[in-house]
Amino acid sequence: MSKRVFHHPEVSADDSGVASWRSVGELERTPSFRAHVEREFPEGSGHLSPEDQKATRRSFMKLMGASSALSGLTLVSCRRPESYIVPYKKAPEWVIPGKPLYYASTRPRAEGSVPLVVTTYEGRPTTLAPNGDHNDGCGADALTQASVLNLYDPKRSRNFLRDGKKASQRDFEGVLGSLAREGAKLAVVVGEDDSPTRNRLRDEIVQAYPESKFYTYEALCGEARRRVQNEVFGEGSQTVVDFSKAERILSLDCDFLGVDPVGSASDFSRKRQGGGETYHQDVAADAMNRLYMVESVFSLTGGMADHRLRAKPSQMAAIAAQVAIGLGITVDGYDAGCLSDEEKAELLGTAATFDSWILECVADLKAHKGSAVVLAGSRHEEDLQRIVIAINREIGSYGGPMVVYETGRTGYGTIADFEADVDEETIVLLLGPSNPVYDRPGEQFRRGLSRSKLSIHLGVRTDATALACDWHIPAAHYLESWGDTRTATGTYSLTQPMILPLYGGFSELEILSQLLSWRQFDWDSLESEGAEEQVVPPTLIAGEGMGGAPSPALAEVRQTFSLPENANDDGDVAWKEALKGGYLQSSSYQTVDADGAGDPTPKLSSRENTGIEINLLPDASVWDGRYIDNGWLQEAPDPISKLSWDNAALVSPKTAKELGVYESVEQLEPETEIPLLGKVKNAPQPSIGEGKGAKAPMALIKTRSGRMEIPVLVAFGHADDCISIALGYGQGASDGRDGVRVVREEDPLATVSPVGINTGFNANQLRGDASFSIEAIEVTKTQGRYPVALVQEHNAMNGRALAREISTNDVEHHGHKVSFEDQVAKVREQGPVDSHAPENVSLYKRRGSTTWEGDKDKQDDLISDKIHQWGMTIDLNTCVGCNACLIACQAENNIPIVGKEQVAMGREMHWVRMDRYFASPMTEMDEKTHKKIATPDWVQQNPEMIPQPVSCMQCENAPCETVCPVNATVHSEEGLNTMAYNRCIGTRYCANNCPYKARRFNYFDYNKRNPLVAHNLYKGPFGKKQVGEAPHLQRNPNVSVRMRGVMEKCTYCVQRLESAKIKQKQIGRMKTLQAGRKSTDVQIKPEDLRVKADSIKVACQDACEANAVSFGNLLDKEDAQVWRAKYKGEKKTKSGAFELVHNPRNYDVLQYIGTAPRTSYLARVKNPNPTMPDAVYRGLATINTA
Amino acid sequence: MANFFPRWTNILPLKIAVCLGVAGASVVVGFTYYATPKAQRVGYMPSQPIPYDHALHVNQLGMDCRYCHSFVEHSGHANVPSASTCWNCHQHVRKDSDKLQPLRRAFDKDYEKYDGEPIKWVRIHQSPDYVFFNHSAHVNRGVSCESCHGKVNEMKVVYQAEAHSMGWCLDCHRNPEKHLRPLEEVYNLDYDAKEWLAENKMVHPETGKELKSQKDLGLYLKQHWNIKAKESCWTCHR
Repeated sequence: MSKRVFHHPEVSADDSGVASWRSVGELERTPSFRAHVEREFPEGSGHLSPEDQKATRRSFMKLMGASSALSGLTLVSCRRPESYIVPYKKAPEWVIPGKPLYYASTRPRAEGSVPLVVTTYEGRPTTLAPNGDHNDGCGADALTQASVLNLYDPKRSRNFLRDGKKASQRDFEGVLGSLAREGAKLAVVVGEDDSPTRNRLRDEIVQAYPESKFYTYEALCGEARRRVQNEVFGEGSQTVVDFSKAERILSLDCDFLGVDPVGSASDFSRKRQGGGETYHQDVAADAMNRLYMVESVFSLTGGMADHRLRAKPSQMAAIAAQVAIGLGITVDGYDAGCLSDEEKAELLGTAATFDSWILECVADLKAHKGSAVVLAGSRHEEDLQRIVIAINREIGSYGGPMVVYETGRTGYGTIADFEADVDEETIVLLLGPSNPVYDRPGEQFRRGLSRSKLSIHLGVRTDATALACDWHIPAAHYLESWGDTRTATGTYSLTQPMILPLYGGFSELEILSQLLSWRQFDWDSLESEGAEEQVVPPTLIAGEGMGGAPSPALAEVRQTFSLPENANDDGDVAWKEALKGGYLQSSSYQTVDADGAGDPTPKLSSRENTGIEINLLPDASVWDGRYIDNGWLQEAPDPISKLSWDNAALVSPKTAKELGVYESVEQLEPETEIPLLGKVKNAPQPSIGEGKGAKAPMALIKTRSGRMEIPVLVAFGHADDCISIALGYGQGASDGRDGVRVVREEDPLATVSPVGINTGFNANQLRGDASFSIEAIEVTKTQGRYPVALVQEHNAMNGRALAREISTNDVEHHGHKVSFEDQVAKVREQGPVDSHAPENVSLYKRRGSTTWEGDKDKQDDLISDKIHQWGMTIDLNTCVGCNACLIACQAENNIPIVGKEQVAMGREMHWVRMDRYFASPMTEMDEKTHKKIATPDWVQQNPEMIPQPVSCMQCENAPCETVCPVNATVHSEEGLNTMAYNRCIGTRYCANNCPYKARRFNYFDYNKRNPLVAHNLYKGPFGKKQVGEAPHLQRNPNVSVRMRGVMEKCTYCVQRLESAKIKQKQIGRMKTLQAGRKSTDVQIKPEDLRVKADSIKVACQDACEANAVSFGNLLDKEDAQVWRAKYKGEKKTKSGAFELVHNPRNYDVLQYIGTAPRTSYLARVKNPNPTMPDAVYRGLATINTA
Repeated sequence: MANFFPRWTNILPLKIAVCLGVAGASVVVGFTYYATPKAQRVGYMPSQPIPYDHALHVNQLGMDCRYCHSFVEHSGHANVPSASTCWNCHQHVRKDSDKLQPLRRAFDKDYEKYDGEPIKWVRIHQSPDYVFFNHSAHVNRGVSCESCHGKVNEMKVVYQAEAHSMGWCLDCHRNPEKHLRPLEEVYNLDYDAKEWLAENKMVHPETGKELKSQKDLGLYLKQHWNIKAKESCWTCHR
């Protein structure tokens, strides 16, 4: 019997001129994509590769022989195995075995530290969640979430190194101690984060070591922006945007929701909801903010934008200048540097359209004086920064949404100062998190290092800088050390250690403190004979001193904390309070009078019309390269390009066609030269879809300073004649790839661990100076091809109106205008047949059924619980698609990584799949002729982007449950579609039957066998195991670690639900104790057993900065946010029964197939400016696929 | 006709049969011994590093379960006491007993054999890793220690009293009334429902009948405390 294919209803031809797609393959409708959609898993994911098959067959007999021999051994020699319970000798305070402990801490970060709540189990930190009680508490981004894995990295640096070889701490202390004794000249480079204790120690060290100086360096923190701000607002100033006050935002290549944070993204989302953030009321169009975005490559912020303009990086300042001129600001050199009419026409069809785009945008900013804000990307040069400050002053941003703070980051030199200052007498100390030998362009830095008397590096990895320095010291992770930080707005926050340094690393403060104690130590006492007690010079302490004495860093932090400008109290009360909450109450930076500060002197340099530009940007996974050894981040697909484990050159479809790459990305009808016949077209042969064997074409890029060969991917919405490459990759490779440092895989001192080896290409080699946009001299397609792990087509869901979008403007529908209110009301009908779908007849509420239970009393309770019914909503209006939920889920639910080859085959295990769709209107109604005509090219080339996180929807009529032959996936009384992993036999029928493709199968023992060793997974028991390695300490003890052959999926963090419910069950004992009565007299009602409304947060919800995920008990009704997101209220029907009234913006995905999912979505609302030329094309991105 | 088979082959079938029988029996015995789930080995009574006598401590000295297993009401785990808990008393009582050597080695810094190694108790009750049993959920709802662990207060050496199989769990989850008792009596392992009811006369509020047996009381408590013991997989497996 052939496979029965479900036919989705047709999209009516009249309905929509909007095309939506995920990938080139889908846009071009290639056979390979169609195969993806129709298959249960990507092709090849269920098969062994021929190579591995061979290996398996050959080794089969070996394996059998070995395993029977082994089992014989155990039978003969072993007694029945005993297992042990080893309790503490003396239980630490607060630790209850089996229960987590939560501590407040903060992650230091250049843009302001991130307040966190760390979950620990018996001393092991396992997950990080944002600290909601902190007054600067925002979400926890993917990088923060994943940083806990770095703590357990088994390849973390653990030895002192001298010239790249193992050395001892004693030797190091001998060398540095003697130099300290003389009071040498120090040059200390630290990170860009602000630490009050470090600032204090800096001052003391500069006094103790004359001529010493401190510098800051991080590759991606906007040197030019800092420079201009320091000049205009004073040294150490920092601009923070309060998005709760920002009504209109114009962002010039500032990805503030992604990799370029300038303020709380939570506030932005709240403002995005137009007063409906708690779902007590609907989105009000006039209360929504509006975002204009000008950028080169699609960013997460660009996806949220109401209006988006593609432009090359070099045009950014000119666009800003045109805005400034529109506001009446004089910009020096405007005439020479402004955009020519041809350039404008290239961007938006005609120069007139472009001018009107800018004009209307300016008018909108003007109309919102005091609540509008213009943002400049941190990587851009001084011109843009100066113009933007002038604009913000003109539109009254300062004092409104923009606040300039005076940070403690004063008195530090820049990296350029450092390069100039280092001489033969200098001792260089590199204490920061960055890797300047790798990412500082030019030779100056390296020369400085070799010129110095001695160079010392402190770091968690033995990266390029560690090996280039004379000495390397292993560093402690921030979860292992004491410290203090300031958030973006300057709240004094504490970092406290959760665990002693796993690998004996030292913290920055411990090193600085040690430098002082060496200086203060009376060295002569060592030589004086006849002293009563033996004197020893102070030694470096990692985490804990002799006899459990605390780290000197603690004493230093406490001293700073007690200072008058901070707590002004050296007692225990304020300190303990601050430790408990993670921060010091009412501490903040001083604000700067921004309007009264200096003149930014806006100017525009003249531009030459360059050829192809290279746009270098931070990577959402590895940032500047420091997370290259983090498996979670590497495997998390890039939010836009959906590429995991690598970086690539991203180009627009037009540029790709010009380079001759587009056709080979998706070779539609390849031509073959046949003698005599000439060129013959073959049948379509997609050479790169996705899945096994997907290979991207390579291009050779040359700039004045360097060259590199890199795979090319087509990126929709990218500026033409521009190539975007993410930084941070290509730090070490064993396959001899071009321009990447060669490392051996087994080398413990390699610059990258087995996670980061052979990942990506180093774009820093194209740079000659600190600039992030470079002109390319030559870009040519080469013959090379590079295997890529692209995931967007994997588990591709297929159907109508998957993600839905509406506009606050009137939109054209069937020839008439539909108002915003009507659009909201019709969200549920956007899927063509949703409105005709039958009423939900749930399988699980069959009252009076005697199928399972004869006892009448039990029937209802066992089938549908009356205390808890769980549900979830995901609000596409605020979801930016940042991957934070994906990583949080991975940390909470023990989800393994599978490695690049396995991802390419479609075997990734992420329970949350972050779908990303592009959509743009391809046809429109001509106003005069009333006929359909194609939309302008600039509209088609600038699609909208919609992210949609999809995990198991917990269908009430779950198709997976009915096909499981062993009842391993069954429904719970509380509406969950649960998995009994130990029951699963791996038929994969359930995944085949899941319309949302939300199930993941463990093809191998990813948890037990290291997937990063080549062919390891195919070696069975001979494979290299990773059980007992450090990352296993991160596992959540309340979740099963799944093995090979088991299907797994999201279960709404059932472990969190269970523990909350069980905690609630203590109520019987509590009531008895309180009432002082006999327990038999105390009655416990169902309400007593109900967990307090909205008190449980699931992992993805917890992590979401945008508050896009609502989860809770639907039986809490109005008290639960999730209920309000789903329903507006109840109404009485004619028959007298109560019926729920839906929240109009809420809809079920694929409602028409009748699965009745518990997870529903809320449509995205775009708020375009009706006077803008592109307003009619926005807000139409409702996704229909296949 | 010559003998086709030599004489010794006469007993060969017997030999083969015996060998097969022995082989089969050893496989069965071996399998039962080694491969029986650890949760189900009733009577498993390993010797402990310290021969702790529950009968002595509970019945003679009158200690409560929760003195040592202190977090049973709060946590999923019923913790085994830390060495410091034992030392609270035993620094004064029978400190020099040979039986307490492992404790002193772990905790008594003045002891000449002190090495700081914690005591390794041998685990008796072991549920598989995919079972998430929670003690607090049971003891706070009127299920006694005794229901699963037997009369520990009478055990000189602790052994496994019940086979903790899934069917056994479900027996109780289907009919919890057989085991429910007043919260005050959860840690009283000598509790007897009839005696308790004789002392504390109880009348069913709806039927007006006097409660007489464990079943009567159990059904009353189940209803009164709204106990709905779940039978679906996710209750224990996740």
